[in-house]
This record gives sequence, C-alpha cells and structure tokens, in this order.
Amino acid sequence: MTDIAPNLVRRLRLSGLLVSLGLLVEAVTLFWSHPTAFLVYLLLGGLLVAAGVLTFLYAIVTDSSPRPQA
Amino acid sequence: MTTTTAGVAALVLVTIALIGLVVLRPSLVAARGGRILAFLALFCLPLLVTGLGTSAQVEHSKSTRFCLSCHVMEPYGKSLLVDDSSYVPAAHFQNNRVPRDEACFTCHTNYTMFGDYKAKLRGLRHVYVNYIGTIPTQIKLYDPYNNRECLHCHAGARAFEDLELHAEIRADLTANKTSCLECHDTIHNAHGLNGVKLWKEGAP
Repeated sequence: MTDIAPNLVRRLRLSGLLVSLGLLVEAVTLFWSHPTAFLVYLLLGGLLVAAGVLTFLYAIVTDSSPRPQA
Repeated sequence: MTTTTAGVAALVLVTIALIGLVVLRPSLVAARGGRILAFLALFCLPLLVTGLGTSAQVEHSKSTRFCLSCHVMEPYGKSLLVDDSSYVPAAHFQNNRVPRDEACFTCHTNYTMFGDYKAKLRGLRHVYVNYIGTIPTQIKLYDPYNNRECLHCHAGARAFEDLELHAEIRADLTANKTSCLECHDTIHNAHGLNGVKLWKEGAP
C-alpha cells in the first residue's frame, strides 16, 4: 500500500470534523421552524461546511504523497 | 416533517458515515477509488446537502407556523381566527381562499427573504430586534400594501370582475393608484382583538 503524507491525514481529519459538525447543525435546524434557525443554518452550518470543504481542497492541492495507484 | 427535510436528514447521515470511513481509514485515499470516495464525502455531498437544505429552509419560511413563531406575530395569527367575515385575512384563511399552511406568504409575497435585498436586510434586523432590540408595540408594513397581492387571485374571477364598482376603477386598481384596502379596510386589526369572538377550528 502506498504511504500517505501525515499532513494529508491531519487535514482530512480536520476537514471531516468541520464538515460533519456543519452538516449536523444544518440537519438540526431543519427541524426547527423559526427565523433564527435559518440564520444558524447559514451562518454556523454553512460556514462550518464551507470551512471543511476548503480545508479538504487545500489538503489535496498541497498533498505531497506519491501518486495514487489505479 | 416534509419529504425534503427527511431526505436531507438521511443524506446528512450517509455523508457523515462516508466521512467517518475516510477519516478513520485514511489509508484508503492512497488508492484512486479512495480519493474519489473522499472527494464525494468531503466535497460533492456536503455541497449537495447544503443546497438541498437551503431549499428546504426557504420552503419552511413560507409556512404560517414559521411566521407566527415570533411572539410579536401572535396577534396576527389570532386575527386569522376572528369569527367575522369583514376581517379580510380571517375570511380568506377560514374559507381556504389562501392555503392555511402558507397563509402569510400568500398575501405578503415580498416580505423579508422573498423580497429584494432591502427586504432581506430587514429580515435580519427583525431577528436582531426580536432578541436584542426593542420590539415596537405596533408593527407596520414598510410600504403601502400592493394591489398586486389581491389581483394575483381576484383578477379574472367572476365575483370580482362582475362587480360594477370594480369595473369602474379597474385601471386604477391595476396601476395601484387606488388601494383595495380603501374599501376592504378591516384587515388584521391585531391590537383590537380583545373580546372578539374566535373561530376555533383550523388554528394556525
């Protein structure tokens, strides 16, 4: 099996944590019918997901692991 | 719970499960298949869920329950149940002239997030005022009520078009020069509802 860079693993974990938290916030607010729920959805859930996705993109762009096997 | 909400919630669980797989077994991404899985779990699905969730939130915000969830709106919800057909919103609500679960949005289509950018900013301000600011004792529309909201349904309807008075001022009504509310002037009257008889069935 090809090794993967520790940096990539760390960033994948951070990305996974941020995206998961964001998605959980988004899911919870869907069951709450109030204007505040929409703001929490966008400003907390949306930002966490965006941060997680950007962290993932940064992780794969800066990845120094060997090329993946087919 | 709507079908969309249930679907989004299910998709959230699937996405989190896939993320867990990638995070707990990072060696998967050494192979091309694992990288595709990571891209799906950490990029494609989160964006899809957020998009679908936003759509579901926008749909929620059309509901009568959503509008009446703020304390200041309670008298307006009560006004829909007044047992007096001269109250225009009550007559519409109780006779299903507007869908009961989207009663507010049907007649106030340009309010807060459904209006222009100014209306959206006002919506944010309303949330701020609701929690931190001072809620005014009487709330008012920012702009005069637009006849478009009435004519959207009434224009072309026989009961409306056959009335001679409507025919005489039809052009002015369409041009918004004469307000429908000049004659149909008993609207929510939200601060004068003490002691009025209420219709109990179909409470929003």
